[in-house]
This record gives sequence, C-alpha cells and structure tokens, in this order.
Amino acid sequence: MIHALQPIPAVIDTIDRSVINNHIFTFRPEQSIELVPGQFVEISIPGVGGFPVSPCDLVREGLISSCIRRTGRVTEALYYLEEGDSIGLRGPFGNGFPLAMFTGQDALLIAGGLGMAPMRALLKALLDNGQTGRIILLYGSRQPETLLFRDELVSLAGHSRVDVRFSVDFAEILPGPCGDVLCRIGLVTELLADLDFNPRKTVAAVCGPPALYRCVLEELALMGLPSAKIFATLERRMRCGIGECCHCVAGGRYICKDGPVFSLEALRAMAEAI
Amino acid sequence: MLASTFPSYPLEQVVLDELHDAIRAERDLWAPQMSADGHWRLQPMGEGSLPGVAVTTFLPLKKLLLPPREEIWNFRTGEYCTAQVSQAFAVVGVPLCDLQAVWYLDQAFADDLPYQARRAQALLVGMACVPGPECRCDGLSMPLAGDLFIDHERVWVLSPAGQALLRACGCQVSQELPLPWPVVATGKRRALTQERFFSTTEAAIWTDEAKRCLSCGACSAVCPTCYCFDMLDAAALDGSVTRHRLWDNCFFAEHGKVAGDYDFRPGRANRLRFRMEHKRFGFGALRGQNSCVGCGRCRKVCPVDIDLDLIAEQLDGEGGS
Repeated sequence: MIHALQPIPAVIDTIDRSVINNHIFTFRPEQSIELVPGQFVEISIPGVGGFPVSPCDLVREGLISSCIRRTGRVTEALYYLEEGDSIGLRGPFGNGFPLAMFTGQDALLIAGGLGMAPMRALLKALLDNGQTGRIILLYGSRQPETLLFRDELVSLAGHSRVDVRFSVDFAEILPGPCGDVLCRIGLVTELLADLDFNPRKTVAAVCGPPALYRCVLEELALMGLPSAKIFATLERRMRCGIGECCHCVAGGRYICKDGPVFSLEALRAMAEAI
Repeated sequence: MLASTFPSYPLEQVVLDELHDAIRAERDLWAPQMSADGHWRLQPMGEGSLPGVAVTTFLPLKKLLLPPREEIWNFRTGEYCTAQVSQAFAVVGVPLCDLQAVWYLDQAFADDLPYQARRAQALLVGMACVPGPECRCDGLSMPLAGDLFIDHERVWVLSPAGQALLRACGCQVSQELPLPWPVVATGKRRALTQERFFSTTEAAIWTDEAKRCLSCGACSAVCPTCYCFDMLDAAALDGSVTRHRLWDNCFFAEHGKVAGDYDFRPGRANRLRFRMEHKRFGFGALRGQNSCVGCGRCRKVCPVDIDLDLIAEQLDGEGGS
C-alpha cells in the first residue's frame, strides 16, 4: 500500500513571472508523475501546507508546469520561493479530460480566468495528437492585463485548425493588438452568440470559476450539444486527493477521485455541484 | 461477513481470565471507564478485571483508529518519512454499533496507509450492551468488524485472529453451537429513500432546524462514522516539519470553501443536509451504504436537540413537497 498522503520531493526548476500574481512554476519531482490534462497534483510546502493544482502543460521530460495564482496562505508562501528551492508533490489525482472522445470531433474549449491554465494543457494535448478537427478556444478574462498565455494564444490563431477568441469583462478600449484574434468586451458567453460550429460533431470542455458553469453548460446543451459531450472540470479545495477527507464532495461524489472532470449529463444528477 | 455466520462457543471464567492475561501481556488495553464527570470514556485500563458489558462511550472507537490529531509524515533534511504507528492495542467492551462503525471506516479508509497500519494493531472485543434511551440499534442490518464478541458465558468469533486467541486461551472451540446473536434491536432508524431526500431539499424543516443549529459540530465529532479531516503542519526549531491529520467538521465555515472564498455550503441548512446525506447515503464508492449505526451519540450531545431521525421522519411525511 502506498502512502498517498506523503509527498515526493520536487525542485522548482523555473518560474515565469510575466503575469503578476499568476506565475508559472515548473517543478521537477524526484520520481516522475504521469498526468493527463485535467488531472491534478497536491503541492506541499512543508511547514505551511498544501493545495491542489492542475498543470497548464503536458508533462515534458518529467517537468510539471502550473500557473498558480497568489491567492491564499500557501500560494503566498510559494511566491517567496526561488528556482532551486524544494517543495513536495503528490499525485496524479482525478480522472482528467476524456482525450479519446475528441478524436475525429471538433473541440470547443471555453475558459474563464485562471481556468485557462488547465485548458492550455488540454489544448496542447489536442494539438499534439492531431486527431481533432477544428479547435475553437473562447477565453474570457477580467481585464486585458490578466489574459494568460496571451502571446502564445495569439500566435496559435494563425494555425489553420485553431480559432481563438478573447473576451474581457472590463476595458475602456479594446486591448492592444491581438493579431488574428477576435477580442470583445463582455462576458465569455457572449462569444457563443454568433459562433459557427457543428454541435453534432463537437465535444466541449469548460474550465473556469463557478459562475461560468452555471450559465455556459446548459447554454451549450441548448445549442444542440449532447450533454454527454459537454465536460467541465470542477474546482474544490481537495485536501487529500484520494476520496477521504470529504471537503470536495458534491452530489455524493468525491470531485477529487470521481472527477474533477464531469460531463453535463453527470453534473445534472449531482445536487449543488455547480 | 454477516453475523449469523459467526460461530459461538461457551466461555468459562477460567478462559476469560486467560484471555485477559493474554491480551495484557501483548497489548495496551483500552476499555470504557466512568470519568469523574459521569461520562463513560475509552481509557487505558489500569489494574482490574475486564468489563462485563459494553458501553457507548462519549467518543467512539475512531478516537483510537483515526485519532483527533495524528502524525502522517515527518520532513527532515530534505526527506519525507512515514510516521511510525504506536504499538499493538486491544479495546474491550465495544458495543455492536461501534463494531459496525469500524467496518464502515475500514471501507472508507481501505487505501489509507496510516489508518490501516493502526487498524492492523487493533484487537477489538465486542460485548453485549444495555441499550440507552437514545439508542436506535438496527441489530444486524450492517456488517461488523472486530475479533470477538462476548455475552455473559458465551463468545462469538468474528475473525481468524479472534479464533486463534481463543484457542490459545484454552477455549473448547469444538463445542460450536448455532445460538442467536445476543444483541436485540432497540428501535429502527427512520427509513428515508434517496428519492425522498433529494425531492425535499427545499423542505421547510431544513431551514427551521438550521435556525437552531449552532454549527458547533459536536454531532460529527462524536459520530463513530464521521471522518472528515484536514491537515496541518507543525514546524520545529530544528527545521523539521510534521504534517498532522486532524479531525475536521462539515459544520465548520471553512469546510466547503474554495480559493477566492467561494463557499459551496454557505448556510447551516446546506451543512445539515450534507451531513444527513453522508450518514444515510454515503459518498463515493460507499454511495448507497447507510453509515448511521444508531448509537445515539449525536442526539445525546446536540445542545439544541437536533435529531436526524426526527428530520427523516418529517421528510418522509412531506410527500415530496
């Protein structure tokens, strides 16, 4: 029996500080941890505590990258650490996105705020395996300054298979040059209004704050996507990651173990999940 | 294992004395003892003979198997080390409801190394009890864990370890008799189907009861099958760190919060329902498994007399409204 609550040592390899309070940390664990997009790890800072986070990239050469917002006591402590410092990692936990379902289908990816981080891992997996048709990414952020991975996503928009659209909730003027990317002021859901896609040939993935799920998931169903092909990844403060501590439970299911990715079909049967 | 399949044997005083000595020779012995404040508590047993009947102690057996605060790992000089588990122990005088609760914890923590390490050190000897007014014992409606079960001059064998111990103490294990289980149900828990529960989430009783609820969490703390936990680090001056697992409580304000302070269970009505859902229908792989063993501790300890059984009764009468 493995001690799933005991971390393995890891070193901070790099820190990308380009977006304030949304740094991208890359960790090198002593033993490799295999992760599919949507799965998560628990980061431990001995003496401070731990938190769950989904990687924002595929695991490459044993390196795990996560975009971590400075938002609480433990993430605050992480921001005081430097390259070369040690932390602990546990995982992989959860189910991850059902990558096989995207094969031969178009992908509609909708991200809000920090939800772009796990969504980027899914986007990369879909681009890497080349089995998906058209990929539409709708990404909403509060302000132009907090759009994550902006340059990278803008450069992706030149890709023939990829269609990227941004929205920002608040801006006096439209945010700077975005290349081929359409950018609107308003909520990410407004990008759906005149979107041209084939609902019978599309799998959707949504990742964002709780408010995003309440409006966007059923709207996708109304547009004709089957509820079994609409996926959302739920955020909870998973303490253990192994279906024991009860913090993440919704609708009788452990989000950390049965999820965090659920289809809308499953979510409809889970009271108070979204 | 269903209790009806447990073999039972006559238990002579000489064997019982032998059992007492054998347990003490190899294990720390715990048993229910009356404290100065009038409450029965599980305590290490000093001198004296084994208890004759089981008692529903203030805190259940989880206090030993899943302690309120336990070390789960230590971190020193860059390495994580698994915390060592204490030595072998025995608990004698455990009521049926608590053995059923241990069976449930065994399922919920099947893959949990610290729990299983501690569990492997435990010898559990159940005894017939004298039911109290709060008891809603459902007899053998749930499986039970444990090693031996004693009622007066008879012993039931619940596990291979129990069998081996009994044999070593000179019990005539050839005299097996198919005798009825000695515990009589005292009153059934109110039936509540999942359909009825989920069709009455807006029922007035939830908000009415929630107005009284103090969110003190006493019901969960004394519940033999409540197992929410949190983790907390303690750093020492030498730079070493110990991560502890602590009892948590679904009535506490932080329990359903996520980053950014969004709360999935903001009100007391949400929390009461959450606990009821856990007790009656289970979570995850245990969905559909009742875990209220009817010990009555929550009813007894609640400072404002909230009773999940009465809520169940009311919901059952709501007719899905």
